Amino acid sequence: MSARTRPWWLSPWVSIRVQLALGAVFVAASVPKILDPPSFAHMIYNYRLLPGGAINAFALWLPWVELLAGLALVIGVWKRTVAGITAVLLLLFLAALSWNLARGNPVNCGCFDLKAKDKPRAELLAEMRWTILRDVGLLLLAAQVLAASRIREGER
Amino acid sequence: MLRFWQAATLAGFAALLAVLSNALAGPQRRLPWVGDYPNARVVPSAAAAIPATPAAAGSRAPAATSEKRSYPPHPDRPWVEIGGDEAAELHREGVPFLDARRTSVYIEGHIAGARSLPIWESTVEDGIKRLFDEGTDVNAPLVVYCSGGDCEDSHMLAQKLHGYGFNNALVYTGGFPDWEKRGLPVEKGAPK
Repeated sequence: MSARTRPWWLSPWVSIRVQLALGAVFVAASVPKILDPPSFAHMIYNYRLLPGGAINAFALWLPWVELLAGLALVIGVWKRTVAGITAVLLLLFLAALSWNLARGNPVNCGCFDLKAKDKPRAELLAEMRWTILRDVGLLLLAAQVLAASRIREGER
Repeated sequence: MLRFWQAATLAGFAALLAVLSNALAGPQRRLPWVGDYPNARVVPSAAAAIPATPAAAGSRAPAATSEKRSYPPHPDRPWVEIGGDEAAELHREGVPFLDARRTSVYIEGHIAGARSLPIWESTVEDGIKRLFDEGTDVNAPLVVYCSGGDCEDSHMLAQKLHGYGFNNALVYTGGFPDWEKRGLPVEKGAPK
């Protein structure tokens, strides 16, 4: 695809910004979790999805995946692989949130903020809907990085 | 294929970093790799958020008739729930109080004389073993609390205590917020 036929949303100007933004979001999300794994384990526990034995291992491992994936996007290495990883993570987060929303189990997101908020049920459920929207937005960013990196590979 | 190896490398490197950081972490932020959460997949129902066990419900009446409630051991159940009046009474009698919240929260303020047994931290097992080694009577009441409301840390701790053979954990459902509201004795500072 030549520069002329390329749609605006795949232009290098857009691509570099999307990539940096997505990377920054993942780095920002990983730091509080790395600093306080027990709080993150508690958040995962509240989702009531993982078997008890897997919760801690997941709480210890996932934040480092987020950090490395975020850093790789910011630096610009293994772009396509890492965009794929972020997309898979976002799909997992979306599934976990949607599942709990569907069964009416209000959860704190635990995405960036690990403080459990003692909020009314309805408010937590509303927050979950917003979080789902945000994750869909982030998923679109990941899709953009995937699409843009394919073009660049095609030009080579 | 290349992508797969890249993804596997990243995942493996993340695992390595996780092992390292957990090994270097202090006791308040370390996690055992395999957790022990018996109710990990039980979804709490909205109705169960404010449970009314027979024990808790029945406790109102004796208080009104100034009859003293007794706390027999209950080996068949991990906990019995109690309210603020009972908790205050037991505190006056010198029954041990166990705080299930995080250490950082405990330091900011806890029930006077309460011992810190943070259920989400790696030190909890050692803390329970110490309680056991000190010769604490497994049939004598132990009051367990966290931050009230939806907080279930006290129930998780009671479950754990039950697993170690303690037969008389009493969960103070109102927890620390209720205690503070009643103006009962509070302390600050790190666990001893």
